[in-house]
Amino acid sequence: MRNPIATLRNRWSDSDARADGGEPASTRSFFDRDSVRSAPFWLPPFLLVGLFVYGAVVWNFLLSLTDFTGIGEPDYTDLDVENYFVAFADPVDGLLSTVGLGGEVQGGSPAWSELTVEPVWNSLGNTIALMVGFAAICLALGLVLAILVDRGIRFENTFRTIYLLPMSLSFVVTAKFWLYMYNPNTGLINIALGAVGIGPVQIVQNPDLKLGAVAFALIWQFSGYAMIVYLAALRGIPSSHFEAARVDGASTIKMYWRVIIPQLRTATVSALVVITVFALKAFDFLFSMYGGYQPGPSADILATRMVREAYANQNWAYGSTIAVILFVMALFIVAPYIYSQYRRGEL
Amino acid sequence: MSSDMNDDGLSRRTVLASAAAAGATGLAGCSSLTGGGTETDAGMSEIELLHAWSSGDGNAAIAALIEGFEEEHPDVEFAEEPVNGAARGNLDQVVSNRLQANDPPSTFQTWPGATLTKFGDAYADIEGEVWTDDLKENYLPGPKAQAQLDGTYVTVPLNIHRINNLFYNTAVLEEAGVDPESLSSPADVVDACAAVAENTDAVPFAQQTSGPWSTIQLWETVLLAQAGIDGYEAFIGGDGDVDQVRSALENVVELSEYYPSDASSISFTEANTMVMEGDAAFIHQGDWAAGAYSGDDEFNYGEQWGQVTYPGSEGSYLLNMDSFPYFDNNPSPEATKTFLSYCGTTDAQVRFNREKGSIPPRKDADVSELNAFQQDQYDDFTSADSQPPSIQHGLAVSPEIKTNITSAFSGFLEDYDADATAEALVGAFE
Repeated sequence: MRNPIATLRNRWSDSDARADGGEPASTRSFFDRDSVRSAPFWLPPFLLVGLFVYGAVVWNFLLSLTDFTGIGEPDYTDLDVENYFVAFADPVDGLLSTVGLGGEVQGGSPAWSELTVEPVWNSLGNTIALMVGFAAICLALGLVLAILVDRGIRFENTFRTIYLLPMSLSFVVTAKFWLYMYNPNTGLINIALGAVGIGPVQIVQNPDLKLGAVAFALIWQFSGYAMIVYLAALRGIPSSHFEAARVDGASTIKMYWRVIIPQLRTATVSALVVITVFALKAFDFLFSMYGGYQPGPSADILATRMVREAYANQNWAYGSTIAVILFVMALFIVAPYIYSQYRRGEL
Repeated sequence: MSSDMNDDGLSRRTVLASAAAAGATGLAGCSSLTGGGTETDAGMSEIELLHAWSSGDGNAAIAALIEGFEEEHPDVEFAEEPVNGAARGNLDQVVSNRLQANDPPSTFQTWPGATLTKFGDAYADIEGEVWTDDLKENYLPGPKAQAQLDGTYVTVPLNIHRINNLFYNTAVLEEAGVDPESLSSPADVVDACAAVAENTDAVPFAQQTSGPWSTIQLWETVLLAQAGIDGYEAFIGGDGDVDQVRSALENVVELSEYYPSDASSISFTEANTMVMEGDAAFIHQGDWAAGAYSGDDEFNYGEQWGQVTYPGSEGSYLLNMDSFPYFDNNPSPEATKTFLSYCGTTDAQVRFNREKGSIPPRKDADVSELNAFQQDQYDDFTSADSQPPSIQHGLAVSPEIKTNITSAFSGFLEDYDADATAEALVGAFE
């Protein structure tokens, strides 16, 4: 079945171009309309998604404008953007501190709290660093693995399975697993470092390595996914392109760089979307690794901060505010993808 | 479906309008979730008890408690529900969601004290009906204060775990030439650790640092030992002396030199096992650590392991308690009160604590059924000059302040910067 939105768009563009006479649409019975007759198919999911996804998003946004602190009814009559001012308080110091140059960030004192409330700069910075670092390396590694596997190596299926396997594990399992891996005495990472004369290194609570260690574990888990997406795209490129490049005398590197990789744009964008969304969801990983939602300032991300505000502090409105910030970040990632799909007429 | 049938002119505006309508429906649905209350008039309907004791000694303890209750009150139905995931945090989230939906359980497992402020308005006064003169006479002042929210009795403490313990492996200390009874201050513990490091191959001080909770416990114990009960109470009252706080942190930094080298990668269980296997000399923990020892026949109290009050904190019994509060808008008012009254009896508390490894909060309990270690702890408790509340275990400070303190310690674990952490801890109350 075709995408319903595409169908709707075709109708929109078709309606003006109708010049073949025939019965005008308006005179036909309402119940004969195609959209009405197909309603049993599209209406239930449409309403369910409207209610449980978009309804919840809108409700969460409204909640972020209140002063709700968990008990009783949120007061929807007194809406303001105070929470956003608190979240982004002291922007100059905040932005400087995310790149390691700033001093003290001053917290805000909103009406709903007797205590000073910290802005989100630190966790925002960590979230972006994790997202960018993780996504870039994950894609690069996935591409390299895909090209290697695509070169017609022996045991191709075995390698493909090995690389993809970590993705089937849950974050809880991988977090506990990497806690062992990073152990200074018995962990494989430190044994490997020891073999080249480094270490043993404290990793799990080391402020300089913490976030990197988390990103590394996530890369281990998800580069296999990037590989599969790239591999599928590589398989879709006709072998004549490879042959033509060869005939023209291109080296292997040049052939990939000039001919093959430029054709992987769609694959890159779709893998990127999924992978960055995984980075936003790294909450489970941090929760399992640090035994709670207090991973420490060097690895605190928006998701851990959000849960802390909402569930530990009962600052539901402020938690919702952080959720909206996360939602907007996710939109920024997904929107270009949807737009490019739209431009290519695939939506 | 072919495109030549698409002639009904369904416009984007229509689509938008229906999307908006769907959104509005969503909102209406959500608000009705929080609006509707479930009223029950049958006072003796079944008790819905939510707890996170879904395994181990906690599960055995709650089962023993409920068994005792059902023997005494066979007419009251019970719908006990462990919230899986076993963590108290998950339980709080469930209760929080239930309260938002105006559908509280009869009671649930919670820390008393300042943690009660989290759902403050949702609790109701049970003085007189549950908190009778008998309870008031037989709870010591410390636990009694923790049962109250702003002077109103709302909850019944069920057990007490002590935080200011120092457990040790006897053989390791003998080899190191350290007499635990001779230690009289937190600084002495550091010296003893140095002696262990010098004279044995064991790790002097078993500790986990992947999560901040063990370090907060240790610091609050050291603060109590160094600054005394007055300094400790000043801190939890928001009026702490930054020098005392820093001094306690500096002692923890010194101790951290004697942690296992993989402290950041291990859990409490692994750290405690090091003591049991003779790989570590000391561990500072709540007395649940002893629960693990009692499961090992080769590792006995007074022989292979021992416990002293954390040096310097003698005379104080640093409290960690669980309790069952009473919700206003209770689904089973009479039954819940009957159950809470039962929890306040010595019979209930002995049954529960025998399995849990903690001690009864009532001073008149017959503890002869408890093990030797518990009996010693109970003697310490009833003869203690003060029973201060634990910060880490939610009694001393409100959840929001506790989050700030935990954040400060999650930073402390990264860099062990006593100055910055001391400022953050005193600032946690602002």
